Amino acid sequence: MKLSTEQIEKLYQFTRQHYVEYYDLQTELVDHLANGIEEQWQEKPKLSFDEALQVEFKKFGVFGFMDVVEKRTAAMNKRYNKMILNHLKVYFRIPQIIGTIAAVGIVFYLLKMSLVSVFTMSILGLISIGFLFFSLFYLVRKRKKYEAKTGKKWMLKEIIFGHSTSLGLIQFPIQLFLQIDEPLVDIWLLIFSVFFVLIFICEYIIIFEIPSKAEDYLKQTYPEYEFSKI
Amino acid sequence: MKNSQLYKGSLNTIVMKLLEENGRMYGYEITQKVKDITKGELKITEGALYPALHKMEAEGILEVEVENVDNRLRKYYKLTQKGTTETVNKLAELEEFIKNMQSIVQPKLDY
Repeated sequence: MKLSTEQIEKLYQFTRQHYVEYYDLQTELVDHLANGIEEQWQEKPKLSFDEALQVEFKKFGVFGFMDVVEKRTAAMNKRYNKMILNHLKVYFRIPQIIGTIAAVGIVFYLLKMSLVSVFTMSILGLISIGFLFFSLFYLVRKRKKYEAKTGKKWMLKEIIFGHSTSLGLIQFPIQLFLQIDEPLVDIWLLIFSVFFVLIFICEYIIIFEIPSKAEDYLKQTYPEYEFSKI
Repeated sequence: MKNSQLYKGSLNTIVMKLLEENGRMYGYEITQKVKDITKGELKITEGALYPALHKMEAEGILEVEVENVDNRLRKYYKLTQKGTTETVNKLAELEEFIKNMQSIVQPKLDY
């Protein structure tokens, strides 16, 4: 005996009740539970759906789906970090590396010329704050557009569009620099410039590059993404 | 899983070996297959299997396919090219391990 569409829907509800928020993981668990229930029915055809479900759920242990959800989140974050790294690598290839080095040079030159003057820091600060506001606006708009499309929650999508918190990162090198009273030697200025440019590129990747390719990444990660739109 | 401490480290290798033999499989199928092969001696728990599958997927060892089967979506796992190479290494490693364990547990005596 096979499960009906109604019973499958019940299984989806069951996973939601047990704190599995994301559709990708729900789908996999629903199929697993369904297989288990059907297997039980082969031996005991009179067993009710709910009883069979409880037996199957118990196999996941006392913490239920929690462990699976937790590990899945960790795996997805790892995947996301790898994405950032892959995008970052592009900036260190020819010809992009010329731009990267030039950017480091410009930051270095600005710092060197004015030796931590209020003026330089204001410019860097203004650029960062301007960037910050613009990015926030961009990300929120893009996110809204995506949410309107499907009602389902996808873990990777949340990760991609949920990184607005990392925006504050750009302020970090500036704050650090403001704390330093004495003029820095060249090598430290250079390290600071590299650090500043690196953070800037990372922010750009997190906010613009990856979200603009979100659809491709989601399709690549979730073959079921296309199914769910039907 | 029975004697979980002893089997735990080999879960990935078990899964990879099964996928190498069977092409593509879904989660439930893997648990059943292991149960069948070992005649119920070894039971892979769901709580361990899925995290292992997801981790290997993130590492690029496995890739997924989805199909609509019996009113529901089914997620199949299969080895990537990287995964196939890795399987060979993992199996060699495991065989070496078994050999070493055997020589410790049943040492050949020199007369």
